[in-house]
Amino acid sequence: MPPRPLSPHLSVYQFKYTLTTSILNRCTALALSVGLLLLVYWLMAVASGAHAQARAARWLSGPLMKPVYAALIMAFCYHLVAGIRHLVWDTGRGLERAQAQRSAWLVVALSIALTLLIGYCAWLAGARAP
Amino acid sequence: MAEFRLPANSRIMKGVTHAAPPGTRAVRTVRIYRFNPDSGANPRLDTFELDARSCGPMVLDTLILIKANVDSSLTFRRSCREGICGSCAMNINGVNRLACTTATRDLAPEIRIYPLPALPVVKDLVPDLSNFYAQYASVKPWLQTRTPVPADRERLQSKEEQERIDRPAACILCACCSTACPSYWWNSERFLGPAALLAAYRWIIDSRDEAGGERLDELEDPFRLYRCHTIGNCTDVCPKDLNPARAIAEIKKMLLERHS
Repeated sequence: MPPRPLSPHLSVYQFKYTLTTSILNRCTALALSVGLLLLVYWLMAVASGAHAQARAARWLSGPLMKPVYAALIMAFCYHLVAGIRHLVWDTGRGLERAQAQRSAWLVVALSIALTLLIGYCAWLAGARAP
Repeated sequence: MAEFRLPANSRIMKGVTHAAPPGTRAVRTVRIYRFNPDSGANPRLDTFELDARSCGPMVLDTLILIKANVDSSLTFRRSCREGICGSCAMNINGVNRLACTTATRDLAPEIRIYPLPALPVVKDLVPDLSNFYAQYASVKPWLQTRTPVPADRERLQSKEEQERIDRPAACILCACCSTACPSYWWNSERFLGPAALLAAYRWIIDSRDEAGGERLDELEDPFRLYRCHTIGNCTDVCPKDLNPARAIAEIKKMLLERHS
């Protein structure tokens, strides 16, 4: 007899708050790991002398980098808040269905608010700089 | 390793359409996953157009109507029709639930029915649950004692001790939770899944059971227990409103406390 087919999973399952918050947590973690390369590049440039540092500063403050930073800040905020949610879960709390639904929305709202706050502070710092 | 795509023999083909009987005013469209092991062909998605007025209130009524009037070869499990046997668990409109306790009126106009996800399909909506049952058996879901039974009475528990296991003991093993879990989809060979872990928890916290330590030893494994990443689909879908996610979190806590 030929092998039995596997019933469909990812292609048919509804993307509810459970799956969505979980996959976002993983995607943001991945984005942050890739984003760390920028920091590594900056640190290496600083260590390699004034010339390399100036070139890195020019490159990293280019107009195309702003959306990248915005995305990374957002990813960081989401990952931070979602991580705290996981920490609370690991104490055995907040795992009832209604609680998990509420905290899913809370994570999204808080991460957006935190992103805006950091963005505002960055804008303030930028406005004050010479 | 997570395998996101279905194997070649599992990809779903276009199926046949059974048109509504002439003169039908309100049509209900039901799309159902079909697989015939004798044909050798890939699974397909058949469309059944029904007279909405002839359908009973629950999804199971609709399935029975199709089997009786349209296509007698349609295969599915069912028994109690009141949500206590767990036989008719299936994926209905993207969520695992019992066909007998899901009202068609609560669903979108079109109903899509698939077998429980990521399992080998025996026929149509009947998946092979052997692995699921073997995992349940592996947690030794029975009372284990070391001390002799008291001579004058049974092993008694207090009302509170019984109430602690009331909810986890109400599991009907329908497999809705385990087959809703992406970790289980990718690692069903090694990860026990929410249903078996809920059963393990039920016996660990049973005041009469004396094998709690061994039970925890068995679970302390990167795959058997720790493939749970608290996604929460299990608790979200449980048709009996049980909470496997919390049970698993409690087991992890017990293991942590044992180490400290």
